[in-house]
Amino acid sequence: MSPVNPVTPVSPVHPVSPTSPVLSVDNLSVRFRMRGGRQIAAVSDASFALAPGECLALIGESGCGKSVLASALLGLLPRNAETTGRALLGDLDLLAADERTLARTVRGRRIGLVPQSPSAHLTPVRTVRSQLEETVRELTGVPKAGLREAAEAAAERAAFPATHLDRHPHQLSGGLAQRAATALALVGDAPLLLADEPTTGLDRDLVDRTVDELRRHADTGRALLMITHDLAAARRIADRVAVMYAGRIVEIADAPAFFGAPGPRHPYARALLDALPERAFTPIPGMPPELGDLPDGCAFAPRCARASARCETLPAPVDGVACHHPEEATACSN
Amino acid sequence: MLELSRITAGYDRRAPVVREVSLTVGAGRSVGLLGPSGCGKSTLARVAALLHRPDSGTVVIDGVPVRGWRHRAPREQRTAFGVVFQQPRLAADPRMRLADLIAEPLRATGRRDEAAAAVAGLAGRVGLSRELLGRRPHEVSDGQLQRACLARALVLRPRWLICDEMTAMLDASTSAALVAAVETYRAESGAGLLAVGHDSVLLNRWCDETVHWDELPRESRSGV
Amino acid sequence: MADPRTRTRMADPRTRTRPRTRTRVSAAVTAAVVLAVLVVPFAVPLDEQAVDLAAKLRPPSWDHPFGTDEVGRDLLPRSVYGLRVSLFVGVAAALAATVIGTAVGAVAGALGGWADRVLMRLVDLFSSVPHLLLGIFVVTMFRPGVWPVVASVVVTHWLSTARIVRAEVLSLRSRPYIDAAVSGGASRWRVTVRHLLPAVLPQAGLAAVLMIPHAIWHESALSFLGLGLPTHQASLGNMVQSARGSLLAGDWWPTLFPGLFIIVPTLAVAGLAGAWRERLNPRRRSELSL
Repeated sequence: MSPVNPVTPVSPVHPVSPTSPVLSVDNLSVRFRMRGGRQIAAVSDASFALAPGECLALIGESGCGKSVLASALLGLLPRNAETTGRALLGDLDLLAADERTLARTVRGRRIGLVPQSPSAHLTPVRTVRSQLEETVRELTGVPKAGLREAAEAAAERAAFPATHLDRHPHQLSGGLAQRAATALALVGDAPLLLADEPTTGLDRDLVDRTVDELRRHADTGRALLMITHDLAAARRIADRVAVMYAGRIVEIADAPAFFGAPGPRHPYARALLDALPERAFTPIPGMPPELGDLPDGCAFAPRCARASARCETLPAPVDGVACHHPEEATACSN
Repeated sequence: MLELSRITAGYDRRAPVVREVSLTVGAGRSVGLLGPSGCGKSTLARVAALLHRPDSGTVVIDGVPVRGWRHRAPREQRTAFGVVFQQPRLAADPRMRLADLIAEPLRATGRRDEAAAAVAGLAGRVGLSRELLGRRPHEVSDGQLQRACLARALVLRPRWLICDEMTAMLDASTSAALVAAVETYRAESGAGLLAVGHDSVLLNRWCDETVHWDELPRESRSGV
Repeated sequence: MADPRTRTRMADPRTRTRPRTRTRVSAAVTAAVVLAVLVVPFAVPLDEQAVDLAAKLRPPSWDHPFGTDEVGRDLLPRSVYGLRVSLFVGVAAALAATVIGTAVGAVAGALGGWADRVLMRLVDLFSSVPHLLLGIFVVTMFRPGVWPVVASVVVTHWLSTARIVRAEVLSLRSRPYIDAAVSGGASRWRVTVRHLLPAVLPQAGLAAVLMIPHAIWHESALSFLGLGLPTHQASLGNMVQSARGSLLAGDWWPTLFPGLFIIVPTLAVAGLAGAWRERLNPRRRSELSL
């Protein structure tokens, strides 16, 4: 319904046919009903599309609603959540699908989840091989005789060394545990990979290796949605970046332009990059608003140097930026 | 001066994670200790903060040798350190409101009547609103909780700060805000800092000097 | 709300309805039991000791819904009184055992070192004797009565709580928030009382509730062996014991009803404890995680 689709799926790296996005999210909102009639607007009017072979990084501060968005796509929201909008995975609306459909045909099969903490995601008392074989059997129906081979192939795809297949999770380093979890996520050969903070708590080398591997899987034609607060990781692998603030996507941009020149156009996104130690290292004044108590207008206005009276109304996204006073677009704006 | 000499420490005497490592932080200086996860740098930081008794080695704080760790250390020596940990969820007592969390060290040391004023002042410094102070840890975000944990570390006005991966879980803006709060406190109090982490860009920007774990002086004692 | 596309996502249906029903039934039965035990003896002028030899061993009837025993005492009021005694023993013993167990476990866990070793060896020592044997030993030292039975239950039941609390304290002791308290100048006492104990109390409380059924069974077992309460006193164990003879003669009611009174309330209390345990599960506590 909105006059301008905030998403212009044009990536210089991976040309995208607009007819066949893997995932297309349209005005997705999530509300939590709390005790005492309070409402928490965790996600508001999020819209984006994701093409095969493309990596979209959803970035934002903790508590901005980005993990809720991921949970909504997987149908893993708690009972007090209400969703509106659409999230089409092929021709299936993930928000309308019932638990049975999601459990039997979506999770693992059409969406592979790369977890936040692999060590917690793996069963501690079983070897990587047995977990892989079980997942292969469940998801692909490979006959018993072929299981061993299929599991080894799955490990191979995530660059998990075959020599370590018979180890238990606690015998693996952080990097190998992450690869084991990724191998599990890849078994169902899902067209969409969803990585929720895949690098939290890892050190820089491991972050780089983990996201590079994710990028490799995107390069084989999968769509990758990476949710992260790690801007360096996003910069390393993303084709496009979606910046979330207080439950809204305030800017969607091509990653090279966003991280390089001319830089972000939304004042929040600019300030977020300026907080990096390799840049100005200055924090954004104040704190994000409570999702249960959002202003009617732009949620960033109270912390924004450019705020004016106009900011008391909600800015509609134009060219992927939801701001009344955006940084001028480089070439042809106005 | 914070002098750690020939520290050997760990959780299993047969396989210590820290072996014969020495590290010195000058008074009022800030040192960033870089290293991959699992290398033992956090254990060394815990030894320095008097929270983990080393198997061998000596620690001298401002000229006073340390004779005991944890509760065996005299209270003045323990409270000379403000410690901030990596995971605020685990570092906060889940039953305490943020205001109580910050005031707890004052109450524990019998300075209960200073609590209200100190909490109000520190909340402003770390950027916590009055309303947030009344919440419990599960009602705030990681970033907000870490702000409270930093305020708690500063409330006794320590001479030394130990920040163990303080910003590893946090977004860029909150990280910058916490580092700025630490530096403001250090500028006015002259406190020294040992910041442990794996992000060289961050530590190089933050600290007077950074050392890599592998470059720390180590003497191997004969017969070990 | 007006938006027709608004949907509410339900959690997995398999994990929901059944535990709720169980909890409701448990709560209803427990409430009925407590009510019966507290109100009936005062509201209904029945004498549980009244003997009517002319009406001995009558099967259940309108006048005597539970029938009568071998000396013609009405089994309904006797069962209610017996349940009252059993519940009192159960609750009192569970409370005392929990207090002792929590104290020992917390001290052992918080202090560590030799204190821990001494206290835990003490626990091992008590556990190495079979419970019933130890319980019998305790009751035989005193005159029959309610308090020796309570003491006997306490002596045999504080051990598990001590172990649970100690393990919990040990795992909490290595948490960074305890480190932060130590660094903040908190004394050993303060760390234990302010940070460790409040964290273990829900577990200890759960252990206490789970202990009540145990304590009731222990009391019944002692009374059944003739070592518990004085034989004339209405207690569920005593009643089953004295009805053994008539059971062999084919009279089922003097054992059935007191037996049911042992089993049903203990199941109900255990059911409630199960619901409590589920609530303690931290995954359910954070319904909303952003």
